[in-house]
Amino acid sequence: MSAVRWVLGCLGVLVGAYGAWLALTRQDLVQLAEVALWLAAAVAVHDVLVAGTVVGATLVGRRALPRPWHAPATLGLVVWGSVSVMAVPVLGRFGARTDNPTLLDRPYLATWLALTLLTLAAIGVAGLVRSRRTEA
Amino acid sequence: MRVPHPDHFTSRLRSPAVAARVGVWLGISFGTCFLTGLVSHWAQLPSPAIGFPTSPAWGYRFTQGLHVVTGCAAVPLLLVKLWTVYPRLFERVDPRAGRRLVAVGLERVSIAVLVAASVFQLATGLANAAQWYPWREFSFRTTHYALAWVAIGALLVHVAVKLEVIRAALGADVDDTTDDRESAVEPGPVSRRALLRTTWAAAGVAVLATAGGTVPWLRRVSVLAVRTGEGPGGVPINKSAAAAGVTATAADPGWALEVVVGGDVRSRLGLTDLRALPQHTVDLPIACVEGWSAQGRWSGVRISDVLTAAGATGGRDVLVTSLQQSGAFRRTVLPGAFADDDRTLLALDLAGEPLSLDHGHPCRLVAPNRPGVLQTKWLASLEVDA
Repeated sequence: MSAVRWVLGCLGVLVGAYGAWLALTRQDLVQLAEVALWLAAAVAVHDVLVAGTVVGATLVGRRALPRPWHAPATLGLVVWGSVSVMAVPVLGRFGARTDNPTLLDRPYLATWLALTLLTLAAIGVAGLVRSRRTEA
Repeated sequence: MRVPHPDHFTSRLRSPAVAARVGVWLGISFGTCFLTGLVSHWAQLPSPAIGFPTSPAWGYRFTQGLHVVTGCAAVPLLLVKLWTVYPRLFERVDPRAGRRLVAVGLERVSIAVLVAASVFQLATGLANAAQWYPWREFSFRTTHYALAWVAIGALLVHVAVKLEVIRAALGADVDDTTDDRESAVEPGPVSRRALLRTTWAAAGVAVLATAGGTVPWLRRVSVLAVRTGEGPGGVPINKSAAAAGVTATAADPGWALEVVVGGDVRSRLGLTDLRALPQHTVDLPIACVEGWSAQGRWSGVRISDVLTAAGATGGRDVLVTSLQQSGAFRRTVLPGAFADDDRTLLALDLAGEPLSLDHGHPCRLVAPNRPGVLQTKWLASLEVDA
């Protein structure tokens, strides 16, 4: 292993250990237990739920859609899926308060539906164009 | 259901060539989030060893806006990055492999820490920016700060472990297959270039959809921003008077601001007294830790005028207390450099109108280059050491 890698690695361990020390010393056990639960849930939500859904969608899409549709569907899924994940907190409006009309004051659900339709339309158009081209 | 094996994932897109390229931008995003996060933490320290600068007035607005927007852009980058390396989760090592087993085990632990901390940071950050607090016990600020160090530490370890692979991948053509898994031979529905371009596009959409919370000319484009930017006087509200429990005390006509110097109450200034003092107008942003910001035109009295009149010496830290009865920011410290700054006002008006109750009526603090949580509303008292 080169010197650069050793320096990077050791620096990483130090920085990470400082973070762990901060987390462990500034909160009580009940708080730490909740942080641990959240960290475990973070891995589980990605590795099982998100990744599993994508694998499932890929398997279904590959069988259900004709070949020329695969590319647009894949690219559409990347943009639509990741933006949807990012938008979960505003879509759910979980933080909305009746005493503060300046908070979460956009039509998020309508926007997301429009984004979904737009993605589907783009996939549809690209799929049809590509199908025609393959036939020709 | 069978446990998947890496060989079940045959797409050539799940390759170090793609992972390294997305990883570079993810690393840049995380690095930006980390540095701007440190700035935000520094800005909120009650008495930092090195004082937080009072200029430029828009400094915190810029760094904190960048923090949140970069965090949003990191969501698509992280998801695609994890997708490209997902098969490696199912790699098995021969338990009799000895030293190699230890090395692989340690690397697996570092990856688990990196993934857990990364997802945690983005999830809690996005939730907090939307004022959603689904956790019950832990403090967001403490945990988000501590785990930022953990995430960056694990990221550095990861780069150290993978440096040769990263170098090789970035040095070769994107379609090079030298370092691919042996089973990753299927062309996949799109080219690697197309997947990368789409990933950049997704990050771009994430930025455009949210950046209007802090970039005024993007407001109409940012359809997923937590706020439209509308509010009384053109400035949104973070915490309402009702939520702070000050509706009655703030509207009380007998309200007066107490100025305490060296433990003695030197003056009690009612709204009429404050209006009788020399008035000044400044254009300063309210820049929230949640990433949104808005420029306001504030008018009122210079805090330094009030403190000097009460016999206080310049350059001292000021303990600012709100009418709020609870909350972490009920009492805040205004460092001496900010108290001395001519732009720091005890604001009475916003956009030419008296402050609304939700904006801090009768009187609030506005200072340049300060996080919004420290721009204390509904002032009750100012205290300075003699």
